[in-house]
Amino acid sequence: METIVRIPTPLRTLTGGADEVTASGGTVGDVIEDLERRHPGIRDRLLDDKGVRRFVNIYVGEEDVRFLDGLKTALKAGDQISIVPAIAGG
Amino acid sequence: MSRRREARILLVGVGGLGCPAAMALVQAGVTRLGLCDDDEVERTNLHRQILFAEADVGTPKVEAAARALRAMTPGLELSLHRGRLLPDDAVALVREYDVVLEGSDNFPTKFLAADACMLAGVPVIHASAVRWVGTALAVGAHGRPCYRCLFEDVLLAEDAPGCAEAGVMGPVVGVIAAAQVDRALALLDGREVGGVLVTFDGRTGALRRRAVSARRDCALCGDAPRIRCIEAEAYLSPACAG
Repeated sequence: METIVRIPTPLRTLTGGADEVTASGGTVGDVIEDLERRHPGIRDRLLDDKGVRRFVNIYVGEEDVRFLDGLKTALKAGDQISIVPAIAGG
Repeated sequence: MSRRREARILLVGVGGLGCPAAMALVQAGVTRLGLCDDDEVERTNLHRQILFAEADVGTPKVEAAARALRAMTPGLELSLHRGRLLPDDAVALVREYDVVLEGSDNFPTKFLAADACMLAGVPVIHASAVRWVGTALAVGAHGRPCYRCLFEDVLLAEDAPGCAEAGVMGPVVGVIAAAQVDRALALLDGREVGGVLVTFDGRTGALRRRAVSARRDCALCGDAPRIRCIEAEAYLSPACAG
């Protein structure tokens, strides 16, 4: 199953500038592994050895995966994933 | 309107976000503002820091901003805090205000503002913009969910580029500052605005709202909070310690 992933500006250097990409997988973790295959380096920007990095939020639809089932959160057809990293600037 | 006239609002950061936010607040009827910033106006600021003009280059931002705001609306009550928000007096400073608009350009200041406002019981609206993206998050006086529910702790500079390295598109700060002011005025009107993260992508024009949930293990507002006072070393990072 292909899922649309919205890529924030700071990570678009890894996706050739694309603000949306697709990746396959039945869970959020699977999708991130597929993202890594398609866009090497992106996994380390999202995850550390404890899971989702503390300064990144990953949403399925409007829900933060930390409050769902984390990286094991199951995806269904039509779900979209958004990545919201911490930024400081103005 | 009387609540707006009486309210004291502190702007932490008088840059790309603080300039349009201050203008919008004043035009909305706010008359008592605090301006906190340690920078001077640079020529590279002018495209997005819309209170400043060429003649202001080299002038402390709080002074140039005060001059522009007074020209716009005589009779404003402005308090100028020329310097960064610092651990030593952050709680005392924010306690002088009813609402804080935090639009600083570095993570130590963002987390310090979050912690100080929580400890002082003052609502705060955080905002940021880098390149084409901006975010705004309001945290009510009750404090849950807070900025640390969203982003847990002070980041290292290499983990997230700031505007100095990455740049910021002028229209993005305008949109996010408008969202920030909208949240502030709603708070003054007594409406609940916490728990929603507003994001704007200037490249696609998408404006989104996402619910932010309180973390039970949050160090600041969780069930057993560990942050009970401001400790200066908690806000050091390679970005600001040198």
